Amino acid sequence: MEELKIALKEQIIDALNLEEMTADDIDNEAPLFGDGLGLDSIDALELIVILDKFYGIKLSNPAEGKAIFTNIDTIADYIAKNRTK
Amino acid sequence: MADSISISGMGIVCSIGNNVGEVLSSLKEGRRGIRTMKYLNSRHNDLPVGEVMLSNDEMKALLGIDDPAPVSRTTLMAVLAIREAMEQAKLGDTRGKRVALISGTTVGVMDLTEQYFAQMKTDDSLLYMPQSNECGRSTNEIAALSGLEHARTCTISTACSSALNSIIIAAEMLKRDEVDIVIAGGTEGLSRFHLNGFNTLMILDKEPCRPFDATRAGLNLGEGAAFLVMERNAGDRSLAYVAGYGNHCDAFHQTASSENGEGAYLAMADALAMAGLKPSDIQYVNAHGTGTPNNDPSESNALKRIFGDAMPEVSSTKGFTGHTTSASGSIESVFCILALMHGFTPANIGFSHPMEGGIVPTKGSTGVNLENVLCNAFGFGGNDSSLVLSKKPVGYEPLSTVYKYGIVADETVSDVAELSRLKEFGIGPMESRRMGKLMKAATLSALRAMEKAGVKCPDAIISATSKGMLETSMQFLEDIENNGEDQLKPTLFMQSTHNTISSAIAIRTGCHGYNITYSHGDKSMDLALEDAVRLIESGKAEYVLVGCYDESIPLTDAFAERAGEPVPQPLYARSLILKRL
Repeated sequence: MEELKIALKEQIIDALNLEEMTADDIDNEAPLFGDGLGLDSIDALELIVILDKFYGIKLSNPAEGKAIFTNIDTIADYIAKNRTK
Repeated sequence: MADSISISGMGIVCSIGNNVGEVLSSLKEGRRGIRTMKYLNSRHNDLPVGEVMLSNDEMKALLGIDDPAPVSRTTLMAVLAIREAMEQAKLGDTRGKRVALISGTTVGVMDLTEQYFAQMKTDDSLLYMPQSNECGRSTNEIAALSGLEHARTCTISTACSSALNSIIIAAEMLKRDEVDIVIAGGTEGLSRFHLNGFNTLMILDKEPCRPFDATRAGLNLGEGAAFLVMERNAGDRSLAYVAGYGNHCDAFHQTASSENGEGAYLAMADALAMAGLKPSDIQYVNAHGTGTPNNDPSESNALKRIFGDAMPEVSSTKGFTGHTTSASGSIESVFCILALMHGFTPANIGFSHPMEGGIVPTKGSTGVNLENVLCNAFGFGGNDSSLVLSKKPVGYEPLSTVYKYGIVADETVSDVAELSRLKEFGIGPMESRRMGKLMKAATLSALRAMEKAGVKCPDAIISATSKGMLETSMQFLEDIENNGEDQLKPTLFMQSTHNTISSAIAIRTGCHGYNITYSHGDKSMDLALEDAVRLIESGKAEYVLVGCYDESIPLTDAFAERAGEPVPQPLYARSLILKRL
């Protein structure tokens, strides 16, 4: 699970072009949106692409992402349960 | 009697008809034009679209074009619509008159570019085609094929409000007596490029769209073209009149509308004020109504702010045509003129369940007397425009030169090394991470110019760009080429429209004022400056930010070299502040 979380953070940093940031800078429990890391609705769409590209998970409705993308822990948990690759 | 702006001809091609007559009967009979994909070659053929029911070859045959070289749908549809409009206006020989052609487009001839993109990289014989998202080339091609070589040409690119803004600029040019006749409208052919782009934003419905409905789940893309012939005082030849218009920026988000619909509200309020009308004088509104979860509540709120409890009949006609993007403003203006002339309102196809807090659209009506109607078109980046069309002439105040202007700041950024200095304006990595190098350079030059002029928020923002955000657009196109039509990046698409720079600066400065982008090759900056001068001289603005922004990338440089064309500068962003003296 820890390996998955590190890989996921690196994928997020790359996809969202979070310059000057490393995996260590993102806390597993800190909120990704709003007051936390400060991601927005376009970032949420990029996260949906990450789920599809690396884990074979397809979300058809962006609203589904809301609960899944709370923080790194919640995303990793969702991936572990639903991944097809 | 005061002068008025007549519409003396109109032409249209869209999924519900290949001419005005066919469109009129489809609208009256509630015949939907959203179908399974037929001409667009996309893997996402489960998405319904509003295609024009003519192949490119059929359109060429209708137009008598014998040359076997491929021509873009965007061009062909426009030439068909212009031909119909000019025939109706009975213009006769226009040589010797001051004629302008203003076209609104964003995707331009991308349908052709994407089809031949891979071959273009090696085959010199294909280099006559535009190799990048250069909208102006499409307009010049349209002029040549329409017998309008003698016309002044102009291309406006404000995403989905492009065509409505063309009509607005046409009216301004007529009011200043710069021209005698303007053919104004917009055109956009479906492309894999923007179908996939909208798909990355997850706002395409797999079912026929349902604007203003509680179950709405996005839009369907459509295509088409519509053009109006506009003149001063066309007398008996007038079909309807342009009574008022407004152009404002929502200044909220690149791809979403604000909750209270500020830009839309301001645009409608301006249009009514210019027409000298009260909200109760409007009998029908053709809403932008895309059917996305975000647009419809925002537009409902803006409509309620204008009309209160006395809502006129409102419909979105996107259930008929799909969202014809850059062409929607002129296509829906034609629908409005037909409604005025024939006394009916088109239904809001797809509506059955009212949404919470939303307007309840009309089921359509016949035998009604319409005097004044309002047409909305909103674009990405919050480029919101609204038009009032009237059955009777509405006089206008001639736009005379009242004020003089001066240039009080002129800042150019062309060195990539300078871009890190955005930090001096408080723009950190979280903000700049999504900005391409052209966006950074444009923002830096604009902020420096405003600082120098001592302006925090200009009254208007006018941008000029030949190829727009070339790097991100071409990256998106390359991704489609190389990786197929899946797992594409929304971040690239949201920056691909030409108006993205102008609207990003509006969002940063909170500028809700006039906002427009000209994309007409080398002439873009001249057109932008003319517009700025118009605003200042007629007293509509005190400070105007005018920017000229373009970049080049190795891929398109190589195309230019092979075609024997000059290779552009790698990065060029120049911002001026014009001030009323």
